[in-house]
Amino acid sequence: MGIFSFMSGRKRPTPGELAKERLKVVLVQDRIKVNPELLELIKSDLLTAISHRLDIDEQHVEIRMAREDRWDKLQAEVPIKRQKVSFEWDPPAHTTAVTGLSGKVTVEVEKDDDLE
Amino acid sequence: MNSRVITITSGKGGVGKTTTTANIGTALALQGKKVAVVDSDIGLRNLDATLGLENRIVYDLVDVVEGQCRLRQALIKDKRLPELYLLPAAQTRDKNAVNSVQMEQLCQQLRAEFDFVVIDSPAGIEQGFRNAIVGADEIIIVANPEMASVRDADRIIGLVEAAGKPEPRLILNRLRSEMVKRGDMMDVADVLEVLGIDLLGIVPEDEMIIVATNKGEPVVHDKRSRAGRSFLNAAQRIIGKEIPLDEITEVPSLLERLRRFVGFGPALAERRVRS
Repeated sequence: MGIFSFMSGRKRPTPGELAKERLKVVLVQDRIKVNPELLELIKSDLLTAISHRLDIDEQHVEIRMAREDRWDKLQAEVPIKRQKVSFEWDPPAHTTAVTGLSGKVTVEVEKDDDLE
Repeated sequence: MNSRVITITSGKGGVGKTTTTANIGTALALQGKKVAVVDSDIGLRNLDATLGLENRIVYDLVDVVEGQCRLRQALIKDKRLPELYLLPAAQTRDKNAVNSVQMEQLCQQLRAEFDFVVIDSPAGIEQGFRNAIVGADEIIIVANPEMASVRDADRIIGLVEAAGKPEPRLILNRLRSEMVKRGDMMDVADVLEVLGIDLLGIVPEDEMIIVATNKGEPVVHDKRSRAGRSFLNAAQRIIGKEIPLDEITEVPSLLERLRRFVGFGPALAERRVRS
């Protein structure tokens, strides 16, 4: 900088301004990506939502942030405990006319031996 | 009694937690409050030496928690202020010697005896930090105007919120206004903009802190120290007094310049140093 800085036309940021801008960027990353508290919250939300439908192995649920091709992804691994999953199939009104399908549906899930 | 438990924390080490705890505690006692300062940095105790009480320790926080002694036996009375007490940390114990439940119970016990309980947190975000905030009504974050400290402070703010505590307040410590003026250091406004919490105090870099620590007398006792005055102001704000945040203005007042010219008091500008 110095006395001739006005000649360069563009004002260069001072070290103080630089620190603030760098901090802002790094804090956004800290807050969004590697934030264990947020991940824990998302994990418990997921567990509540999924365990309504499936019997899952809550001890082995894993959730993490990953990065692929400059895109951030949330990866969740949710092991299912029970082998059989069943639910009532009650199709919405607009589909009954087309297919007429209704009743109980059972889904067989293969047990993953690696789980235990 | 309507007592308040305040935890001083920072995330990063070496930003002035212990100094702040000693001075805020002392300043509150100077305001006529009955105060306990608690060193929760088990294994690395320093608050005792900052207050000059290192030779009087018989029992410590872990002894109290484990029932080896009563709370009153472990509390050490300050040399100068009869209403100020220290509960020292254990020096020879593991930092996991105390759990959150015990710490919360300890805070309850202290509430019964004191107007203010000021807890010095260890650095870091592990169990020691969690123990330090578990029983707190209020959290004060100490940060320096530099990247690593502000970044860690931001993490701490998130953890404090996740723990269900009210939003912490900030003491910005070791500000060097001549560097700020040159644009070489972040300003108070910059740090506040980044962290988004309320400001409780601004403490300038001050050689007198080291002198005071060497003597074992908190710098708030020294009326000439600018850092001491800042800590006193912060303590008054804690009590609820409206003290303007005018530590920001570094230019000495006309009175101060006159005083310096006449030869009373120290030359303030010369006392600030680079660390």
